[in-house]
Amino acid sequence: MSISRRKFLKWIGAAGLGSTIGKSALAASTKHFEGYPESFGVLHDITRCVGCRSCEAACAKVNELPLPDKPFTDLSVLQEKRRTTETAYTVVNKYEVAGKKAPVFVKKQCNHCLEPACASVCFVRAFKKTETGAVTYDASVCVGCRYCMIACPFEIPAYEYNEALTPRIMKCTMCYPRVIKGQLPACVEACPTEALTFGKRVDLINIARERIRKYPDRYIDHIYGETEMGGTSWMYISGVPFSEIGMREDLGVTPAPKLTSGALSAVPVVVGLWPVFLMGLFAISKRKEIVSRQELEETVRSVSDKANVKLADALARARKEKEAAVEKEVKKALEKAAQSRSKEDI
Amino acid sequence: MNKGKYLIRLACIFAAFTVFIYGTSLYGAGQIINDSSRTRADLIKIDTMSAFGRLEKPPVEFLHDAHTEALAKKNLDCTACHLIEKDQIFPKFKRIKDADRIEVMNIYHKECISCHGEMKVAHEKTGPVECDGCHSGKTIYSSSRQPMGFDKSLHFRHSEAQEKKCERCHHEYDEKEKKLFYAKGKEGTCRYCHKSETKDNLISMRLASHIACINCHNKNLAKKLDSGPVTCSGCHDLATRQKIKKISPVPRMERKQPDIILLKAVPKGADVDVDVEKQNRMDFVPFDHQVHEDYNDTCRVCHHEGLQPCNECHTLAGKKEGKEVNLEKAMHQAGANESCLGCHELQQEAENCAGCHAPMGKTRKKEDDSCRKCHMMPIFETEKISNPEYEKSRASEMLKSRKSVTGTYQENDIPEKVVIKHLSKKYEPVDFPHRKIVNAIVNKIKDNKLAMYFHSEEGSLCKGCHHNSPVSKKPPQCGSCHGKVFDENNPLKPGITGAYHQQCMGCHQEMGIEKPVGCTDCHKEKKINQM
Amino acid sequence: MSDKAAIGVKTWFTPFNVVSGFIIIVGIVLSILRFTMGLGAVTNLSNDNPWGLWIGFDLFVGVALAAGGYVTSAAVYLLGMKKYHSAVRPAVLTGFIGYALVVFALTYDVGRPWRLPYPFLIQQGTTSLLFEVAGCVALYLTVLFLEFMPAPLEWLGLKKVRELAVRLTLALTVVGVVLSTLHQSSLGAIFLIAPSKLHPLWYSPYLPVFFFISSIAAGLSMVIFESTLSHHYFADKMDETHLNENEGVTLGFGKAASFVLAGYFMIKVMGIAGGDNWRLLGTSYGLWFLVELLGFVALPSFLYAVGVRNRDLKLIKWTAVWTVLGIVVNRLNVTLIAFNWQLPSDQRYFPHWMEIATSVFIVTIGIVVFRFIVTKMPIFYEHSDYKDIH
Repeated sequence: MSISRRKFLKWIGAAGLGSTIGKSALAASTKHFEGYPESFGVLHDITRCVGCRSCEAACAKVNELPLPDKPFTDLSVLQEKRRTTETAYTVVNKYEVAGKKAPVFVKKQCNHCLEPACASVCFVRAFKKTETGAVTYDASVCVGCRYCMIACPFEIPAYEYNEALTPRIMKCTMCYPRVIKGQLPACVEACPTEALTFGKRVDLINIARERIRKYPDRYIDHIYGETEMGGTSWMYISGVPFSEIGMREDLGVTPAPKLTSGALSAVPVVVGLWPVFLMGLFAISKRKEIVSRQELEETVRSVSDKANVKLADALARARKEKEAAVEKEVKKALEKAAQSRSKEDI
Repeated sequence: MNKGKYLIRLACIFAAFTVFIYGTSLYGAGQIINDSSRTRADLIKIDTMSAFGRLEKPPVEFLHDAHTEALAKKNLDCTACHLIEKDQIFPKFKRIKDADRIEVMNIYHKECISCHGEMKVAHEKTGPVECDGCHSGKTIYSSSRQPMGFDKSLHFRHSEAQEKKCERCHHEYDEKEKKLFYAKGKEGTCRYCHKSETKDNLISMRLASHIACINCHNKNLAKKLDSGPVTCSGCHDLATRQKIKKISPVPRMERKQPDIILLKAVPKGADVDVDVEKQNRMDFVPFDHQVHEDYNDTCRVCHHEGLQPCNECHTLAGKKEGKEVNLEKAMHQAGANESCLGCHELQQEAENCAGCHAPMGKTRKKEDDSCRKCHMMPIFETEKISNPEYEKSRASEMLKSRKSVTGTYQENDIPEKVVIKHLSKKYEPVDFPHRKIVNAIVNKIKDNKLAMYFHSEEGSLCKGCHHNSPVSKKPPQCGSCHGKVFDENNPLKPGITGAYHQQCMGCHQEMGIEKPVGCTDCHKEKKINQM
Repeated sequence: MSDKAAIGVKTWFTPFNVVSGFIIIVGIVLSILRFTMGLGAVTNLSNDNPWGLWIGFDLFVGVALAAGGYVTSAAVYLLGMKKYHSAVRPAVLTGFIGYALVVFALTYDVGRPWRLPYPFLIQQGTTSLLFEVAGCVALYLTVLFLEFMPAPLEWLGLKKVRELAVRLTLALTVVGVVLSTLHQSSLGAIFLIAPSKLHPLWYSPYLPVFFFISSIAAGLSMVIFESTLSHHYFADKMDETHLNENEGVTLGFGKAASFVLAGYFMIKVMGIAGGDNWRLLGTSYGLWFLVELLGFVALPSFLYAVGVRNRDLKLIKWTAVWTVLGIVVNRLNVTLIAFNWQLPSDQRYFPHWMEIATSVFIVTIGIVVFRFIVTKMPIFYEHSDYKDIH
């Protein structure tokens, strides 16, 4: 093989090193993250929401968002289904559900997942799942690739497309600055019917279960967000099926990062093994080349050897013939000489 | 081929391709049928063969009334498809028993297809003859069939029509003789024996009711008399059913039932253990049977398995005949319509009651005193009531002593207006029309004896809003217990704002009160703070 | 006019120059609009549809079609197929321009393009596949640049530097294949995070594999396509070796593409089986999926095989065009058409004409640069100074 020892060692070394890059592959692990121990959450009791939009108003005020065209007291906007936008961290939507005489209202905002998809896919780590449970966004590093908007299964992050130089992702912050000061999120504080309850996530789950147990006719027996997408910090209980109020029930319980951890874990393996395979292919193809060249030389040599033998034989035969002929001539000449001498003597 | 032609051909192929793609877009199967013409009460899904094993072909959607109508046009009656057995039309299709799998299948195929075939030959509109025509597997129709019941009104009309000859419908079965006979005084509903499935020769309720009812109605129709329905929709379609005449009030059924009973744990005539006698038990309950007959449409609501007294099957400990449901459960189980308490709880869901009762929840513990509302007769009077006459008179005495009038405080003790002025940045204080609301609630239950009896104590109505505190003329303010927002040590107790809004708005929603609506109907906005 | 023709000076206003010049001017105007007024002014992007044509086409299609570089280098330098040697430089050039334009297009789409170095310099989001794509693309662009270096160095006459560059070839090829595998597959893996938004016929845990394998077929077909066009327009720049080897390249790459597409077809079918999505083939999206799978994967695989067997160069060349189209269809399906498929039609995305114009502008720049390089540097011919070195 024409590959030098040095080169070989270099490649193997690189291969080994390459395999060590990359974090441990959690794809096969059985770990399940249930949130930081004392982290908070919010429980939204959909049966209590009356669609007054006080939460929207409070959120806009606290986050200094621009006021919308129609004031927050205008309830006619509820006739259309809305989503979060770059000026609205949260929206309330109205649903007419069959079998219910009153319309159902649902508040929609970032669910602050335990293992957020947005944090997983951000390539500058602009999102952070804080110990308070809130998922915060750091606009000072965001490049604006908008992968978080693709990844979010709840379709929450919004983007300031009309900003030329400083476009940001806009989403609910669970009022992180207020929470760390011991205050309540603005929407929770503003809600008149206490449809929003703020507290430790584990407590909220117990409260929700208690409410469902006490009023089995009032609630669907499911806490939305307890396990969806691996669990969220913002959870919901409802009196009507969640799929009828715009909440997807087909998201599954796999946390978002697990969806791509398999692919990511393949990276160091490729980095480690591909050079080996490729150099192997190179070595094989090089070897083939050398072997074919050698075989060619072999053939040429054997052919020329055969030809040489033939030539030598022919030469030897020719020499013999020449000698024979010469001898013959010499003999003839001698005989002639002997004849002419005998003639002279008489 | 020149370039132009080539491009044109290419374009044509592309166009054809596009048309093909868009023209043949397929939709998934199984659309929900919302079209009203597709919901019918006479829809029968024929899957008789499922009794013999797995179905090879999908069940057949069969419209019975459509067939009756079509056959009527040809002057054919039920006998076109149904056999006569014991002088009665038997509801199964052209057979009495489902004996053999192949035989049953052949009956269906032969009879259906031959009739359709004949009509087809005569160029009449008819059903399918090919396999997939019937066994299409497609869900074209959806059933709107409502189960039919015999309520008191219908029973009265029937007994009048039958000249009070109960034996014409009611019978019992003698196991030994293996035949039906009439037992006077033991008449009950058909369902006590005829259940949902046929067992040996005890036919199902479905078969029994169709045989009994339809045959009789048919005979009357033949005599050109007034009769009940014979078509599917006549009984089973909700709209058509409303047309059936209803007698109200229905005269009392004559079955020698008691007027007033004293409910005891041990049934009459049962062997009573002497030791058990000495044990302390719940006080007896005087029960007005006659009045309760009026509250229900059928006897079956309470007498769900038989007309005998409850404690014959539901003993103190429970026994097999009572499906191990003991007496306490039978009388008190919330959510069970047959139980006393279950039925009473159901009444609380009425709109007039729900405002206060809905937030109370089903699993709340009742106050100990409330037992006495029913358990009135102390058991130390047991010895005296061994005399049935005394029992009855004492029971009726106790019943009469019940005050079924809502207890309220004096008018001046009820504040007219209460100003709710908790700290609010946005809104003015609320001028709460307290007395008006109390009077409205009292008014809503003034026709309901049950409600009035249970609220006969003064101040008991007040507990609808002034809850979780002792009854008092001056109950504590909401703010005494409800503080600032949510407290994690008391997860089910909202803060004061939540308490007000949940209580007030919850009540309005449950009771269907339309006004006040929105925020400003109850409290006006403060002028200084405009949001 | 005739004077100029008599003197032999070429006019600048050839049809190609006029058209491409117009496109470039429009493009420059749109660029100014984009950077002064924000994305909202020139795109139809919305909060529901954050990625549009620029990502779907410029990025995803661009990266897939620039795969010819690593495929050709691998074939020639790792597998030792010397008869394709003349195809290496054009393929590497196409790849280099392709990736350079991908990065260029990225600066348009991203909100703050000056922050593009942040993931490497400031904060690394290593849980993100986009980080991996970005890193690999950046490194691979460097690799391609170095692989391309010998040509301009020869043109500039810098012998010693050029020698150094050439010695790196083997290492660069290996690194190039490794990086290409990583980023081609990771581009597919990017959509693994959104199973609820991508139609189940296109969503599969095998997305990375699908993207990688199809990139090989894309690369092979692009080399054939590019060489077809080059032979048409730049034949005068080609030397004998180049012209002679062309048939071999077409046949050889066509054969390889046939096999790769057949394998890709198989794994796509297995993907449907794995998700048990057979009944979805009966829906309208299913029909479109079948068009992509049967019309743009199975069909070209078959046509390539026929073309190679019959030595029908014309058929192979048209199949190459068709395959390239198929790759475009596949990438647009995954990013735009089958993505957000459940949204009601009034919330679906269609590119703004300005987005389309910008993409055309970027592709035009690519063609212009390509033309400049091949007419000036030894891409289609071997430089006289270095002819005998091989």
